[in-house]
Amino acid sequence: MAQPRKQNEALYFMRRNAKLQIGVVIVFLFIILALVGPLLTKYQPRDYVAPGAQPPSSEFWFGTTSFGEDVFTQFVYGLRSTFLVGIVGGGLGTLIGILIGFTAGYRGGIVDEVLNMLTNIVLVVPSLVVLLIVAAYLEVRGLVFESVYIALFSWPWAARAIRAQTFSLRSRDFVDLGRLSGMKPLKIIFTEIAPNMMSYLLLTFILQFGGAILTAATLDFIGLGPTEGMSLGLMMNNATTYSAIMLHMWWWFIPPGLAITAIVGSLYITNVGLDEVFNPKLREM
Amino acid sequence: MRRYFGRKLLIYAITFVLAVTVDWAIPRFMPGNPVEILIARAGLKAESAKLIYSYYMKAFGLNVPIWRQYLNFWIALFHGDLGVSLWLFPQPVMKIIKQAVPYDILLLLPAILLSWLAGNKFGAYAARSKWLDNTISPLAYILQATPYMWLGMLLAWLCGVRLHLLPFSGAYSNAMMPSFSWSFVWSLLQHWILPFASLFIVQFGGWAIGMRNMIIYELEADYSHYLEALGAPRKLVRSYAFHNALLPQITGLALQLGAIVGGALATEIVFSYPGIGFLILQAIQNHDYFLLQGSCLFIIIGVLLANFLIDLAYVLVDPRTRVGMQGEG
Amino acid sequence: MRKAVIMLLVVALLTGLLGLGLKPVSAATTQFPRSQTLYTGGKQWGPPSNWNPFMTGNYATGTIGLCYETLFLYDPLTAKFTPWLASSGKWTNSTTYRLVLRSGLTWSDGKALTVDDVKFTIELGKKTTLNFSSLWSWLTSITKVNSTTLDFKFKTALYQEWDNYLYNLPIVPQHIWGTRSLTDVATGANDKPVGSGAYLYNTYDQTKMVWEKNVNWWATKALKLSVAPKYIIDLVNTSNENSLGLVLQGQEDLNNNYLPGISTLLTGGYALHTYYPSAPYDIAANTAWLDINLQKKPMNDLAFRKALAYGINVADIVSRDYNNMVSAANPTGLLPMWNKYVDQAVVKKLGITYNPAKAKQVLAAAGYKDVNHDGYVENKDGTKITLKLIVPNGWSDWMAAAQMISKSAKAVGLRIVASYPDFNGYLDARLKGTFDLAIDNQANVSNSPWTYYHFIFYDQLKDIPTTQGGNYGRYNNKTAFALVTQLDKTKTTDLTAMKAVISKLQTIQLTDLPMIPLWYNGMWAQMSTKYWTNWPSSVAGKNHDLPVTWNGYWNMTAILMLTQLKAVKQP
Repeated sequence: MAQPRKQNEALYFMRRNAKLQIGVVIVFLFIILALVGPLLTKYQPRDYVAPGAQPPSSEFWFGTTSFGEDVFTQFVYGLRSTFLVGIVGGGLGTLIGILIGFTAGYRGGIVDEVLNMLTNIVLVVPSLVVLLIVAAYLEVRGLVFESVYIALFSWPWAARAIRAQTFSLRSRDFVDLGRLSGMKPLKIIFTEIAPNMMSYLLLTFILQFGGAILTAATLDFIGLGPTEGMSLGLMMNNATTYSAIMLHMWWWFIPPGLAITAIVGSLYITNVGLDEVFNPKLREM
Repeated sequence: MRRYFGRKLLIYAITFVLAVTVDWAIPRFMPGNPVEILIARAGLKAESAKLIYSYYMKAFGLNVPIWRQYLNFWIALFHGDLGVSLWLFPQPVMKIIKQAVPYDILLLLPAILLSWLAGNKFGAYAARSKWLDNTISPLAYILQATPYMWLGMLLAWLCGVRLHLLPFSGAYSNAMMPSFSWSFVWSLLQHWILPFASLFIVQFGGWAIGMRNMIIYELEADYSHYLEALGAPRKLVRSYAFHNALLPQITGLALQLGAIVGGALATEIVFSYPGIGFLILQAIQNHDYFLLQGSCLFIIIGVLLANFLIDLAYVLVDPRTRVGMQGEG
Repeated sequence: MRKAVIMLLVVALLTGLLGLGLKPVSAATTQFPRSQTLYTGGKQWGPPSNWNPFMTGNYATGTIGLCYETLFLYDPLTAKFTPWLASSGKWTNSTTYRLVLRSGLTWSDGKALTVDDVKFTIELGKKTTLNFSSLWSWLTSITKVNSTTLDFKFKTALYQEWDNYLYNLPIVPQHIWGTRSLTDVATGANDKPVGSGAYLYNTYDQTKMVWEKNVNWWATKALKLSVAPKYIIDLVNTSNENSLGLVLQGQEDLNNNYLPGISTLLTGGYALHTYYPSAPYDIAANTAWLDINLQKKPMNDLAFRKALAYGINVADIVSRDYNNMVSAANPTGLLPMWNKYVDQAVVKKLGITYNPAKAKQVLAAAGYKDVNHDGYVENKDGTKITLKLIVPNGWSDWMAAAQMISKSAKAVGLRIVASYPDFNGYLDARLKGTFDLAIDNQANVSNSPWTYYHFIFYDQLKDIPTTQGGNYGRYNNKTAFALVTQLDKTKTTDLTAMKAVISKLQTIQLTDLPMIPLWYNGMWAQMSTKYWTNWPSSVAGKNHDLPVTWNGYWNMTAILMLTQLKAVKQP
């Protein structure tokens, strides 16, 4: 039973890894803002609150848009939907990736060939382009739809990574032991392979999460995001359309982009930190 | 060798057929039809609209059964005919795309290649020492996390609006027509710099990180330790590691193409740069089904081709794949 | 490796440059002297691709107006026709119209423009399907009386509609169009168009359309008119933001986009000018109204519609959403230039304006009560009322307006949810009649309120999905339909008769409330006084032409604006 010692070892290094700590703290701060933010504001994202195009003031921390909406309100509600897409889209993508990756890696043979082909097909197609075609024709688009789409095109990255790991793990002794002792394949997967891949799965999820946020931001920016609600990408879309750059309304387009960069960047850095924690080879140089 | 390519070709063929079918099918199963939109834009008198409606349905081949429309689409595709644009009626879609492609090449090729080269170089530096790693890597991660369009907006605002240094929309000055004069080329370059920079900077981050990880991995491989034990100079070990690390970066390039196309689209929107990305946006906004279909298909085929070329290049560059294939015969 | 990459880069740059179709051109035509060029924008949303004057909605800016011309010009502000290609026209009897063409007209290739060209052009509509082909359902024949006169014989004389054609029909040269196939006539691009107008086709590229002054324009001799700019370059819109930037920097002289914020920028030292120096800044162009689907409950209940009308705060939308760049519509919805047709007595008696207290009263009296105390009224049978108000996604000003309507409706107990489907979804819902409420604006400025009433009382209900004729709420009133036809048959000179019919139509409209007029959209126009001056202005003594480059506006006096412009002396 290598688990407890491994966990202790992991925790030990986690506490000492600067990248991990900084990354987690930043993401955490934004999550808090997303949860608490809407409670701090009495407005809805599209409410008219004051004459338009006002710079940040003590009353409107992030100023107002051309239409007199409160940018801070839009920002915190936008954060919420951004995180939602990240979790649902990233989570679903990871799940599908796990399913396909595990199956391909464990079974091998023809199953692996077919799944590999499927993975390559989805990988090669420029996902945004197909997303455009589909999203452009839907009358009403929701947040869930967007998350599902994103997941449907981002899972190959997860699948590839997981398949590779599964390959290397399944030929290890303890798995052979499990098979010899007559364990069902599913049980082997869950009790022997999965725990050893936990770290890997976590890393994969973090990447998917970050990727989903970026893709959603791009989709929203083009104008193909959810038709209702608010998101950070949509804020940038509105800012561009209503000449925020031209009119020096920096408070409208800088916060959303900055938030995405900060969140996704922190996620990536957290990822690196975690990678170092789990993979001793990367710790020293 | 044959099996390797055979398999690849099969994947590409299946992808192609699927992509074409999805590309063709989606608009047809959505509410509304393109002729409605054309008429809405034309602001016709009702009585005339009635006549025009049936005229256009016939002109666009929308009055034949669905399976026949699908077949016609494939036939036209093999003639290089991607249909006629609704928004820019009666210009053929292919002609419109051809006018946009040079701008994409101008933008994407330098951005991809230069960022790949520079990113790899800097990634290698980062792998040299801890100090360099701790400065370059976080920066690279942040760059990689920056959404393309936001960086574009920042650049447009800072360099364009605030400092009045560079123009930030269009491909060349409005007062000029394309020609071989120096003033035109100068105008072209001025308009090109900011979109190029947006694409370059973000991708640079990605490649740097990739290369840095790969080199660390290679430096930990047995052959590196062996060489070091033998007393080989650090530089030699590094150069081996670098060249070995390049290989996955090449495949990485192929895989990233899809994402890069997406980034180019967002950048073109911010700078109103007339590439295919911008064309797609306008096709969406003007509900031009045929142009949207055609442009998306064009991109997909382009990416498939590029992938294929990179696969070829990979076989040439990596002797292991060749040896492996010889074994299989 | 590195060499290969450098090679690729060079190849890329070369391909890029070559691909742009560069040809060595002399310096003279690659640059257009700023002081002689008028830069316009706001109409063209894509690269010029079509110069076929019969393809409204597709042809490049100025195709009709700068290149091809019409028989008359119409000035909506004074309601007067100016003979243009024609020298006069009148009804010689109730079904015959006699047109006299001006002599000395020429095409830009030198050939004469004669009645043969006019006859040929209009008969094209009979030979193939063009945007005016329906004219032939009531026009019987065109007879050439002499070398300058044509007689139009009608089966039924629809006077209001005929007048509309007089200033909208472009005349094309028979010697060029006569040799084309009918498909080419109907849907061809008509490259390098040859017209009779003040400007010649010069060139175009992906970003602009370039017209050059026609020094042999017939009006210079006949009417002593000369257009000031040597070049007109119409820039393709890429985005509103871009347009704003160009105008503020003085790189675009006339812009016809809707640019929010213009009202505040007027005093920002950018040398900006609008037609009205203060609100509403632009002349009213069309009416935005609330389409109500009368086929659904409870919209089919007149009392409900009345309450809805009382419950919408239009003044809020005008001031906050549009910063007073639009103005509130009067209850009839007729544009301000048609004020003389508004029957003030009827409006006084039946007109509805914002009155939330009255709205609640009407709802209560009609039996709509809030049974479950959720703040909203329910149907008489107790079922909930939730209405969806659709506007196209991305039309931010309408999206904001929809939100405001939702808010003011909430205050009187009506639950209206603003929804922003994609444009096709929005269009489809209106055409198929599946919507609840929608904001719509189509009836534009024209020579007669008949076009307005024809739209809101469009009678071919079954054909709405294909013809997009209007009346999306499917209001079915035979009396109204008959009155609209009667109006069409009323002579345009008989103001009294017209007013009488229109008054009846207004009574029906205000009694039944099939739709609710909201505000007037403007002829958005921002002008820069950096390089050109003497723009149209409402100020007395200035020229009152329309400063608009949209389709159909050149022949509504915008062409005359060009003759009044003066170049500003540059330091």
